Order: sequence, then C-alpha cells, then structure tokens
Amino acid sequence: MRNRTVPQPAMSFEYIMWMFTRISGLALLFLGAVSLVMAFVMGARELLDMPTLARWTFFPNPNHVVNSKIPDVTQGWANAYWQIMQIVIAFFGISHGLNGLRVIIEDYIGNTIWQPMLRGLIFLVWLFFTIMAVFVILAS
Amino acid sequence: MEIKVKILRFNPETDKRPHYQTFRVEAEPTDRVLDLLEKIKGYQDGSLAFRRSCAHGICGSDAMRINGMNRLACKTLVKDLSKGTITVEPLLGLSLIKDLIVDMDPFFEHYESVMPYLVNDEPPPLKERLQSPEERERFDDTTKCILCAACTTSCPSFWSNGRYVGPAAIVNAHRFIFDSRDRAGAERLRILSDQFGVYRCHTIFNCTLACPREIQITKAIGEIKRAIATGSLD
Ligand code: FES
Repeated sequence: MRNRTVPQPAMSFEYIMWMFTRISGLALLFLGAVSLVMAFVMGARELLDMPTLARWTFFPNPNHVVNSKIPDVTQGWANAYWQIMQIVIAFFGISHGLNGLRVIIEDYIGNTIWQPMLRGLIFLVWLFFTIMAVFVILAS
Repeated sequence: MEIKVKILRFNPETDKRPHYQTFRVEAEPTDRVLDLLEKIKGYQDGSLAFRRSCAHGICGSDAMRINGMNRLACKTLVKDLSKGTITVEPLLGLSLIKDLIVDMDPFFEHYESVMPYLVNDEPPPLKERLQSPEERERFDDTTKCILCAACTTSCPSFWSNGRYVGPAAIVNAHRFIFDSRDRAGAERLRILSDQFGVYRCHTIFNCTLACPREIQITKAIGEIKRAIATGSLD
C-alpha cells in the first residue's frame, strides 16, 4: 500500500489539549517512578514506611518524609532538584485534572455563553493553584 | 407462547408525556421483535407508530431500544431476549415524534457535515479510478454502515450534547478519509478536529456494542484521532 499522507489540520485547541492529556498522564507516571526509584537509591528501604514512601512518590516534598527515620532531610531529600520535580509534578497534575474538568463541563454545555465563562473560571482556578503550588514548594 | 410487549407510547396530539402500554401477543421463539410490532399494529392497535422498510437489517429504519439496548427490531429474535416481558422504547437523544419514531433530522445534519461522498477533482482516467484490494480493504469495515443511528443514540457524549457529530458521522467520514481515491481527507479531518468533532469521544464503546453491523466504531474513531495527530492515512 502506498503511503498516503494529508496535510495535518491546523492545531485546534481541542487537539492540543487532547495531546496534553496523554502526555501529562504519562509524564506523571514517569515522574512518580523517578521519585520512587530515587527514594530507594537514597535508602528508603530502611528509612521510610509504606505510606510515607507513597506520599513521597507522588509529591517528593521534604515535609512528607521529615517525620521518618531519615536523620537529616536536607541531606539529599530537600534540595533544588526536588523543588523542580515538585513544580513539574504540580504543573502536570493541576493542568491534567482541571483540563479533565473542562472537558466534562464542555461535554454538557457545548458553546453557549456559559462556555467562555466557565473556561475562564477554570483558567483562573488553574492559575491560582499553580501560583500557590509554586509558592508553597519554594517556601517549604 | 404468549409474550408481553411493553411499549413506550406517545401521541403528540393527546399525551403530555410518554407512557408505557403492555400488549400480549402470541409469538414463536424465532419471531423477530419487528414481527411482534407488526402483529400489534395489525390486530390490536393500529395507531402504534414505528418505522420499518426492508425488514432485513439493511435499510436502517427500525433502530429502537429493545430491553434497554439499541437494536434493529428486524434483527432481534425473541429467543435471544431474556424471558418475560420485552420492553420496546424509542431511541434516546433525538426528539420524540410519535411512539417509536424519533426526529432523525439532527442525525442526518451531522452526517452531511462530514462530506460523506467521494471528492476527487482530478481528471478521471479512461476507464475507472483503480484501487488495489488492499486499498479497498483499508476502509471496508466502515462501508457497512446503514445509518440506523443506533450508535449515535447510544453515545453518552451525544446525549449530553446534541451538537457532537456523533459516531455515525465519524464512521462515514472514515469511509472516505481512508479511501485512496478520495482527495478531501484533510478537509474532513479539519471538520472533525473541531470542538464537536472526535475529541468529544471518550472511548465509552457504547457505539461499538450498539452497531447492528458490528462495525468497530471506536477503533475507526481512534484511527481518525491518529490521522489528525500524524497526517498519515495508512
Ligand atoms: S427494517 Fe430495514 S433495517 Fe430493519
């Protein structure tokens, strides 16, 4: 069969968000795996119990492990690398979740006057949570 | 054996809202639900309204909800339904006209919106536009659609928002997008990448279960999503 191709349609907002949902979903799993593996490399087998490890996996914040057997969390568990990890995870998590909410809402309302209003509201909520998350991560 | 057929009735001239009416009919296990409806209309209540034409599962007129599933009445045998009462209701998601008849206009408007016809402005060759068996095979599954609307009216995305083009329209777009003789694939993909195109499909698979022609509808929709993402029509 010969290879048939067509010029791709210009990227629509729906297409971009559809792609983003898939990429961010995979990225969250990947980042979780990275935190998990790194925790084991840093001795989680001895130092952390199961719930603490689970919390660390999905949000590698030093506050999550400070009450464990780790002698000093500033040694490896709290540094700029983990702050960047947290920011990336928070960004993907907030965006993935709120975009899901947007899709569900727009399934129902279509493009009435409510659509731009609710889309705007979700954008503001997204902005608020993202800024808050970055602030909390950098301050903690 | 005697069978109870419970039908959702609605007469727009006298009824405010639909109501159920139960009929008792003598039936063979090999009778089709359409036969039962014909018996009721012929011998018990001539005012019962439903669409049918071919009675052989090819015209797509008599899709309806039978025991809660979208089925063609002419392809559903009594023996294949659970014993007891058979419940027959009109399709969901399209407005009710009378008894089992729904307004198909929105359905066909969505169908027309994806240009369900061959587009090719190149001068035709002397005899015919040739196509290899493999190229024909590529879109064989979606040629089977009979436009009965069973898929579109089983789709929760369509129920919640009638502006979604719906699985049937996407199936018919697929039939031409992947046809090697067609030249309007890009245009159709543009139409389907819009807000009410393929991205309202959340892979619920109701359409695939509902299709009386056993078309792999969700797969076809997935292939279109992939074509939009890659531009490849293989
Ligand atoms: S009557 Fe034609 S499909 Fe059933």
